[in-house]
Amino acid sequence: MMYWSELAWLIPIIPLISFVVVGFLGNKAFKRIENGGYFAILMAAVACFLSLMVAFEILTGGYPGGTFIQSMNWMTVPGFTFNMGIYIDTLTALMLIVVSFISTLVVIYSVGYMHEEGEKKRRYYAEISLFICAMLGLVLSSNFLQMFIFWEIVGLCSYLLIGFWNTKPSAASAAKKAFLVTRIGDIMFMLGLFIFFVWFQGNLDFSYIFNNVDAFLGGNDLLTLGTFFIFGGAIGKSAQFPLHDWLPDAMEGPTTVSALIHAATMVKAGVYLVARTYPVMVETPNTMLIIAIIGGITALMAATMALNNPNIKRVLAYSTISQLGYMFLALGTGGYLFFHTQETNAGFMSGMFHLMNHAFFKALLFLSAGAVIHAVHTEDMRLMGGLSKKLKITSLVMLIGCISIAGIPPLSGFWSKDEILAVVFETGAENPLFYVLYIMGILTAFMTAFYMFRLWYMTFAGEPRDHHVYDHAHESPKVMWVPLAILAALAFGSGFALFFGFSEAIQPTMFHPHAETWTQILEIVFTDVLTYLSIIAAVLGIFLAYLMYRKRSINPDVFVATPARRKIYGLLLARYGFTAAYDWIGLKVVYGVAKAVDWFDRKVIDGIVNGFAIVTIKVGNIVRRGQTGFVQSYAALVVAGVSIIVILLFLFGGVI
Amino acid sequence: MFENFPILSLLLIVPLIGSMMTFAAGKHAKAARYLALVFSGITLVIATLIIMNFSLSAPLGTEFQFDEAYDWVPMLGISYHLGVDGISMLMVFLSALLVFLAILFSWDVEERTSSYMGLMLLLDVGVLGVFTALDYFLFYIFWEVVLIPMYFLIAIWGGPSRAYASIKFFIYTHVASLFMLLGIFALYFTASPLLGAPSFDMIEIASVSGDIGHALQLIIYAALFFGFIVKMPMVPFHTWLPDAHVQAPTAGSVLLAGLLLKMGSYGIIRICVFTFPDITVEAQVLIAIIGVLSIVYGAFACLAQTDLKKMVAYSSISHMGIVLLGIATLTDLGMAAAVFQMFAHGLITAVLFMTCGMFQHKAGTREIPLLGGLAPKVPVLSTVMMIGFMASLGLPGLVGFVAEFSVFTATYDFFDLWVIVPIASVALTAAYYIWAMQRSIFGSLTTKIDTEHIHDAYWFETVPLAVLIGLIALFGIYPRLVMDIIVPSIPRILTGVI
Amino acid sequence: MIAIEYFIGLSAILFIIGAVGVLTRKSAIVVLMCIELMLNAANINFVAFSAYSGNMNGMVFALVSIAIAAAEVAVGLAIVLNLYKARDTIGLDEVNLLRW
Repeated sequence: MMYWSELAWLIPIIPLISFVVVGFLGNKAFKRIENGGYFAILMAAVACFLSLMVAFEILTGGYPGGTFIQSMNWMTVPGFTFNMGIYIDTLTALMLIVVSFISTLVVIYSVGYMHEEGEKKRRYYAEISLFICAMLGLVLSSNFLQMFIFWEIVGLCSYLLIGFWNTKPSAASAAKKAFLVTRIGDIMFMLGLFIFFVWFQGNLDFSYIFNNVDAFLGGNDLLTLGTFFIFGGAIGKSAQFPLHDWLPDAMEGPTTVSALIHAATMVKAGVYLVARTYPVMVETPNTMLIIAIIGGITALMAATMALNNPNIKRVLAYSTISQLGYMFLALGTGGYLFFHTQETNAGFMSGMFHLMNHAFFKALLFLSAGAVIHAVHTEDMRLMGGLSKKLKITSLVMLIGCISIAGIPPLSGFWSKDEILAVVFETGAENPLFYVLYIMGILTAFMTAFYMFRLWYMTFAGEPRDHHVYDHAHESPKVMWVPLAILAALAFGSGFALFFGFSEAIQPTMFHPHAETWTQILEIVFTDVLTYLSIIAAVLGIFLAYLMYRKRSINPDVFVATPARRKIYGLLLARYGFTAAYDWIGLKVVYGVAKAVDWFDRKVIDGIVNGFAIVTIKVGNIVRRGQTGFVQSYAALVVAGVSIIVILLFLFGGVI
Repeated sequence: MFENFPILSLLLIVPLIGSMMTFAAGKHAKAARYLALVFSGITLVIATLIIMNFSLSAPLGTEFQFDEAYDWVPMLGISYHLGVDGISMLMVFLSALLVFLAILFSWDVEERTSSYMGLMLLLDVGVLGVFTALDYFLFYIFWEVVLIPMYFLIAIWGGPSRAYASIKFFIYTHVASLFMLLGIFALYFTASPLLGAPSFDMIEIASVSGDIGHALQLIIYAALFFGFIVKMPMVPFHTWLPDAHVQAPTAGSVLLAGLLLKMGSYGIIRICVFTFPDITVEAQVLIAIIGVLSIVYGAFACLAQTDLKKMVAYSSISHMGIVLLGIATLTDLGMAAAVFQMFAHGLITAVLFMTCGMFQHKAGTREIPLLGGLAPKVPVLSTVMMIGFMASLGLPGLVGFVAEFSVFTATYDFFDLWVIVPIASVALTAAYYIWAMQRSIFGSLTTKIDTEHIHDAYWFETVPLAVLIGLIALFGIYPRLVMDIIVPSIPRILTGVI
Repeated sequence: MIAIEYFIGLSAILFIIGAVGVLTRKSAIVVLMCIELMLNAANINFVAFSAYSGNMNGMVFALVSIAIAAAEVAVGLAIVLNLYKARDTIGLDEVNLLRW
């Protein structure tokens, strides 16, 4: 019998074909058809179809054993085996669905959004196809090294696509920053790989490590370091504190790119990495604690920065960072709890659940924002306002996204966020620190609701603030709003997976071991005081935004009324000074050292070399005075020399 | 297929004849070009034939294949002894390939074309000789043969201060070679009595080198090692390299960085490690420190450069440092990865220097502050530059990553978390490449130079670059093709160490 | 048979006369002639030792040396002639192009 999973190796290959074909022929063969755009859609759709079939097969237990593994030798050196292959379990299946589906929708949407780019579209569709290839490859990887390889390639695509409008200096600069900051994370990832490589005796295959993880335990300090470094990779890629600063800058790229790469898929790679490493990670509770803390800090900090930013895409970027923080909080907490109680895996489940929900609603939000930007040609929310009359569909789907992320039941964001907070609170019993994290989580929920509705009100509600912008606004074409509608439906409904389960990827019983039917789950959720606490936080946030930006009974200017408040306001806009600090490290410290090295190289090291040459020349200058140019003085020297030798022979040589 | 056929000698003779014929072409530039291309092409075909027939499963002790040994000066124990193992096999292929591509790339050299092409073929003879010689005397002759064409390539076709650069290159590396020669003679005179007959044979000498007195071994080792690390070059003996590169013509730079530097690291593997395992073990930490110093120092120096070519030159120092670090681990993985890195660096650095040359040629300058926003003007050149830079900074999927990752894995395996120091260079490398790209091809179009008449790559530039990039991607995606050649030869090199 | 000391004495005197001439005379022609003197001093030694030892090699060498001396005179005179053409002089103290 033939299984769909056996075709899984084709999934990354298909977009790769698109990359090559569009890259070479985009402006020739496909000139008339969006410079390859339709071909890219076709290939993405085929990959998506395959991915869905494979995922369905794995999730429904259609493949015997549940985990599909395929592997080939990539390189062998005595003591070390490098393999390449395919590893599909339920986690992979979940990621496959999210990545391939959203990718396809975004490529379709791009046809409308990028329509006016002319010949540059070839590059766009080629690069986005490469990205899809690499991202699917990352998800399907059968070992850490392969994952790292695709991890870097998605980073490259991110670099290329952020810098898509590379003649714009800010875009070129943002691309550079994204590459370099994530590179710091990548170095940690590599260190983690080295430790794993040696720790697990030269084999990085998931199947090998997960099956033998118990055999390698004991003396866990080094392993803790290893898992910490692996998480370091995730810090960079998923823009966690303190390497988060590249993501807001990355908004220089096209909005489609922001939606696909910097919201729905690539930045999730870090979460996926931690989830993938979970069987090892849970053995190192200290790493788990660090993950939870960093996740909590990031969630809160990014949310505060989103509060007052006027740029629609930046707000969404901060929101993405913040939500990613939630996911890490969930994973870290869950792992910590699992290590100590060995009972529930709810943290892991809720983290992955949130990953899926967030992918849908954040892609929706970004693409809606893209539709707005497409309509008004500005990203500054202060110039928008009242757009709901002109962009009816967009405003509606974006409202769904906002409600979903704010965490209002029964939309998807509510279910996963609530589960995360519940797990964090539960873990407080093990370590009181988690109560603090819980409070941070609730605060974040409140702020999330506030800034999302601030965004919505400023963009769509009220009176137009800039009539020039307003008059030119128009609803987006069908090719753009249909994907939006699909995503809106998912953002609305993906949370119900909690009740029906998602095979082993998201199991209702994992969250609530005692609940058997969906009514029981509902009962558990809604009899918990904590649930209402998070709902109240969200409602309060929305209400505050309503008062400030719709009803205008609170003037937003009160936040800049006194110097102290203005200072805080400015600090948030300056991203807590992280940008300046990065620039300082880059330009002053590293470049300063480089300058010093260069000076040392030219003056000291090369100075010594040239010094040898100069000394030689000087000595030569002195010695050459002996060259009188008169033949007879040379002859005299010869005679004198011979005479001296003869005399010496007579005196000491014993000739006589 | 070639059991009794002296194919390695043929490999040396073909470019030699080609060189003579090209010189003889005199003023007929076109004839000289085609002659050089044909003869380097034949050399490449022969090298490819050899690598096709290279046995991957040769039992231990018979790694040297296509072995040829004839007495030359029997009285002094000098023999004409050629042979290749996996390590030299790769270098031979790389040499033949790069010379062929460099000749094609220099298709538009108008000034004294026949001498230019002839010198490149002569260089080919020297480099191939170094990588195939198994006799110290022969090795040294070829080693010196390499020096002369490169000197003239820089001195005649070089940039404004070519006189300074060429003389510096010549004297610096020649002094180092003389130390090496002293080492070889010392080795010869001490090993011959132990062997009972005079011999310059590398393998024979290695069999008795352990019996030489420890202090003398140390001195000989130091002399040889010095000769090699100047050639690589390692900090602090590297300053001839940036000057030579900046002044050298493009093809000269390609061969200088692609092949000549490899001679140094090849010497360390083939002679230092193989002949003096005990001393190598003692000096292991020092070697590693030199390697790491070069990696980090080179990377920092790159960051401060404003000349693209000088930056690439310093990056060579940094990347050759990775080779030395790999050697210093003295493990199978590290050693194999070091050889892999030599091969990878040869391919990548050729792309980089070709790109720099094209900038010089088309934009009239390589100064980064004068460039900017050129990507829309020269899309092919910019794409190639990006691929080259990405390969060099170790992007997975391209050949540089495999080598770098393996070296660092081996480093961790042997030196534990000290690997943090060299691995920091990974970020620095990315920084200088990405920053250079941002300033030279991205951003707004420069107004400091005339960009009106700037022309994208010509066919004779695109073809070699396409071939190189194809190989970079091929070996990056499927490194077994290379690794399987290297790995069987490593145990022999490391026999004394373990 | 005449004692060998006489031959050696003669050749030494000839050699010293030649050497002093080479070192002190200004005219290039004279210096050339002095060089011939020195060569012939050596030839006398060759011949004398050869006759006394009975080994004919010395005789052969004397002949070779005479032939070389002839060639050398030819080259030397050519140089002097060219010198005269170029500089209008054969005075050695006026020719110092190789001076630093």
